[in-house]
Order: sequence, then structure tokens, then C-alpha cells
Amino acid sequence: MKRTAPIRMLLASCFLASAVSSVRAQSTTPGGMPPPPGMSLAQSTAMRFAQPVRVGDLIGREVLRPVESQDVLGRVGRLVRDRDGQIMVVVDFGGFLGFGTRPIAVPVDAMVLLGQDMEIVAFTPEQLRQFPTFSPSGTTDVANDTIIKVGLAKPSH
Amino acid sequence: MRSPFRPDAVPDAAILDDHKPLMRSLSRRGLIRGSLSLGALVMLTGCDVKRPEAVQSALLAISRLNDGVQALLFDPNKLAPTYPASMILRPPKFNAYYDVMDVKPVNGATWRLEVSGLVADKRAWTLRDLRALPQTSMVIKHVCVEGWSYIGGWSGPTLRSFLERVGADLRAKYVAFKTADDYPSSIDMATALHPQTLLATQYGGDTLADPFGYPVRLRMATKLGYKNPKWITAIEVTNTYPGGYWEKKGFSWFAGL
Amino acid sequence: MNQIENSAPGVPPTPRMGRRLHPWPLRIMHWVNAVVMLVMITSGWGIYDDDVIIRGFHFSKFWRLGDWAAWSLNWHFAGMWFLVINGLIYLTYGFVTGRFREKLLPIRPAEVVQTVVDTLHFKIAHDDITVYNAVQKLLYIIVILAGIAQVITGLAIWKPVQFSGLVSLLGGFQTARVLHFVGMAVIVGFLVVHVALALLVPKTLWAMVAGGPRVSASSHAQDHHARQGHAA
Repeated sequence: MKRTAPIRMLLASCFLASAVSSVRAQSTTPGGMPPPPGMSLAQSTAMRFAQPVRVGDLIGREVLRPVESQDVLGRVGRLVRDRDGQIMVVVDFGGFLGFGTRPIAVPVDAMVLLGQDMEIVAFTPEQLRQFPTFSPSGTTDVANDTIIKVGLAKPSH
Repeated sequence: MRSPFRPDAVPDAAILDDHKPLMRSLSRRGLIRGSLSLGALVMLTGCDVKRPEAVQSALLAISRLNDGVQALLFDPNKLAPTYPASMILRPPKFNAYYDVMDVKPVNGATWRLEVSGLVADKRAWTLRDLRALPQTSMVIKHVCVEGWSYIGGWSGPTLRSFLERVGADLRAKYVAFKTADDYPSSIDMATALHPQTLLATQYGGDTLADPFGYPVRLRMATKLGYKNPKWITAIEVTNTYPGGYWEKKGFSWFAGL
Repeated sequence: MNQIENSAPGVPPTPRMGRRLHPWPLRIMHWVNAVVMLVMITSGWGIYDDDVIIRGFHFSKFWRLGDWAAWSLNWHFAGMWFLVINGLIYLTYGFVTGRFREKLLPIRPAEVVQTVVDTLHFKIAHDDITVYNAVQKLLYIIVILAGIAQVITGLAIWKPVQFSGLVSLLGGFQTARVLHFVGMAVIVGFLVVHVALALLVPKTLWAMVAGGPRVSASSHAQDHHARQGHAA
């Protein structure tokens, strides 16, 4: 019995090493997943433990795609309320290195906070390209010192 | 079927007794043990470098050697840089081994902090007990092993003051944590006693929010982010290596900044 | 090896006895470094992917060493020991034997221009591989400095609290990360040129395996005459 205990310990170490080698997934859920079909954007924000954030702190943030390569979709230009009082994030979208962008209005509930940036989780880049160019008529700007709630996500891998 | 890990000739038990499990580290001796275990592993188990498992065991052995080096490099008197409160990121960046929808909030009123191991007082703590300890605030840089960083502000009692209050054996090697989200973690005693190691109950002057570890999380300034467990439910002082969630998957245990 | 080959008319022939262009310690250090550098670069790419520095750009799995970040890190922190120990021995060797002074200096700007022009015209034939041309000298010095810079920026990233002074000097933690990435890009750029040219002039590759031609103690006379030969 005494002889096999140390051998078992060494075996355990080797098995551990091989078990570690076989682990592929980093997490059970990747970050930035879109809301499941049927769930409203407001519900998905609520599930994402929306946190208070100052509107002025969002202006200029990069808006990323929730993928490993962290593609930049655009930058936050400003926040507005539409006719129904819904808060929309006007994103200077597309272009290249900041040139040739056009503003599109993305519902804040389609987005999440990610550290010093934001992500759009509810729409793919292809869908965003179909968004009409933002027109300010019928909207009111949200003041910089306003506190709004925005959902969270973990980093994407 | 015969396991590929079983050596052809069983080594003398006395030799094996000298080479205890690889799952150990910490302290200056970790340095020597880490460098010995690589050769010992090759010699004693018959693992050869043509096998991927052997390569990974070798990498893990060097990782434990590095833990020893990191312990040597850790200066218990060196403070991490601090920043003005205006630079605090609000809210901070969320991360876990699952996405935020799976956060399980803790009821602060019924929450108890279990205390065990090499301590004199094993009574469980309430939130009020924690808040009664002298509070410290710090604005420091959080650095994630992934590479990103942000500046955050946390407040709470130092872990040191808590350990002293429960009569912990401060010469013990490890302080281990259990959490409500099954994310075990442990640190070396030297770091546990560092002035910038807090049992944080507040972020940016407000009570910790649910996704960020309410009611209490560990917050250190001298270790990578993943070493700071959230939603702590139990603290143990021990001399038995406790490991941790990410350590089981190959990450460094010491993880010092 | 014909004695006459390495001499221009009127110059005394090379003595048959003498050190090889690449003595065996140097060859060992070179190939150890080659393997270790590849480990550091490809495991570094795996670490990079965990939080990309250039948004929109990541390395595909094919190019990464380590199944995922944890193992890329383990490779990186294992390779670093071999890199630093081998590198320190190499630097010591280069200074103590006088090899750096002999082989890498002096560099004259006019020569650099001329060599680049020659290379672009595919005049890359290297009659005397024991003498480095100006571009070679420049690139070798750059890659040595880049390697040293990678160790410095790497230490800053690894221990931003313990080496907080160094991090401040480098402009902050994220800046140190960027510098570490840029240093990698410089080394990879060097590698591409270095490997391409070694394959185009295969006797240089063979020299790093078997040692190459023998050289006399002082190669200054040959240096002068070889340059005259190159000017054509």
C-alpha cells in the first residue's frame, strides 16, 4: 500500500497534465451573445445586469464587434431620445480608420458596456449596414450628465 | 489496458517519497522544487518529450519554477501606483468564466463569511461585522491576464486586519477563498498581508454591485485580475496548497504583478 | 577550400589554419536562438489574441503556439529562460572575443545605400561570406537591440508593479505592450529578410551549420579588399 501511494500521486500529476491539455473552451458562455429569438432588447438588457453610466462618459467610445479580433464598428457620436422616448446611440459607423463613416441610430438596449468601450450584441455588421442614416428630426439630445443604464458583457474570445 | 504513464520499472518508494506531488509551489523552495521536478518527472515516470503530455508537464513544471521566482521578486513593502479618483472607470469592466447573464446575486442580509483552518476564531461573519473593521480605499490599476487594464477604486478592510481579528496563523503559507460562483482561489500569505490587499465591499464609493462581487470580493493591487475572487463565501488559512479555478486549467498560481 | 579564393590580387593568401567564420559555440547559440525565438514569437501571438492590440487584427490558430491563452503563456514563460540565458552567453561571447567589433563595425552610411542598391539589382552574390556587408551589419545590430528591447518591455509587462519605475519610463503599461508588439514586428521583419537571403545564398546557411571558411586573426585587410570587390 505504501509503495503504490506515491506512484498514484505521480500518475495523478501526469493525468492532470493531460487533462489540462485537453481543455479547449475558456468559458461556458462566450461574451457578447445576441439575445435569444423572441426576447426583447429591453429584456436582454435586464438580464445583463444593466449598470448606471454617465452619458457624457460614453461619447467617443469605440464600438466593437463581439468577436476575438475586436473589429471596430464605429464610435459613439451622441445619444438621443427618439419620438417614443427610447434612448438611441448614434454611432459613427463603418468607413476606414474613421474616414467615410455615416451616423446610424442603434437602440441602447442592443448594446453593452465593455470596460472603456461598447459592443453591439443584438445586430450583426451586415444588419447594421442596412440601418438608415441617422436623421436628427424628431429626436432630442440626451444631456451629458444624464445617468442611464446599459447592460454588461464579458470580453469575447 | 496498461496506462502509458505507468513506469516500466517501479522506482524505490524512498526516492518517490522525496519527490512529492507537482501540485505544490510557493516560497523560495518552490524555486528548487520546480527545477528538480522536471528532471524527476522525466526520470521517474518514463514520460519522454515525444509525447505531448510530457511537454505539457514540462511546461507546468517551469510554471511552478516561475512561481518561485515571482515570490522572490515580490517586495512586500512595494506599493502599486495609485491614481486620482477622477480616473475611476464607472462601471468597471465585467469578467468571469461565464457571461454576465449567469451571475447569481447573493443576498447580503443572509450572507455569512465562513472562516476555517489555522485561525483562532472560526465564527462566521456578517456584512455588518466586516463594515465594523477599519476601512481602506485605494485607486489602482486592474490588469487582466488577457492584457487589458483599467483604473478602479475599491474600499473595505484590509485582508490583514481581518486575518489578525480572527487570530490567523500569519506564518501559514496560503489564504484560500471559496465563492458563490464556484470559483475557488488562493494566494500566498505575503500578498495576503500586503497593505493593498482588501476585502472590498465598495467600488467607487458605492456598495459593490451584483455583477462585481456583492457583498465582498478580494481586491489586490499586486496580482492579476483572475486572482481576485468575487462573491466570497469562505476564507481558510492553510498550509496545504489550495489551487484555484484557472490554475487547474494551466494558468500561473502566483500571478504577481 | 582554395586559399586564393579569399584574396584579391596582390594580397597575401589566407593562412590555412585559423578560426572558422562561425565557431561551434556561435553556431549552437544561433540555432538555439532560432528555435527559442520562434517559440517566443508564436506563443506571443497566442497571448496577443487574448486581447488584441490592433483592433480588427488577430493571428489565426494555425500560427499560434499553445492551444489557447493559458498554454501560450506557459510556452512564453518557459522560452524566456532559454532566450535570456542563451542571449546573455551570446552577448558575452560577442564582446569578449571581439567578434562584435570585428564583424559588425564600422558601418558607413554610403556603404549601406550601395548595398541596398546592389541587393535590389539582385547583385547578392557573396564572394567572401566572412565579411559582412553594411546592410548585414546594420540588420544584425538592429535585431540584437530589438531582442534586448523585447526582454526589457517583456519584464515591464510581466511585473508592472514590481518594476513600476521601468513601466513609467516606457510610458505606461499599455504603451509597454505596444512597444513589445512593435519589437516583435521588427524581429519578424528581420527574420523574413534573414531567412530569404540565407536561402538565396545557401553557402551562408551551410556556414552556420558546418562553420564556414577559415579566417585569419585580423580580417581588416580582407575587409578592405572585399569592399573593393563589391563596389562593382
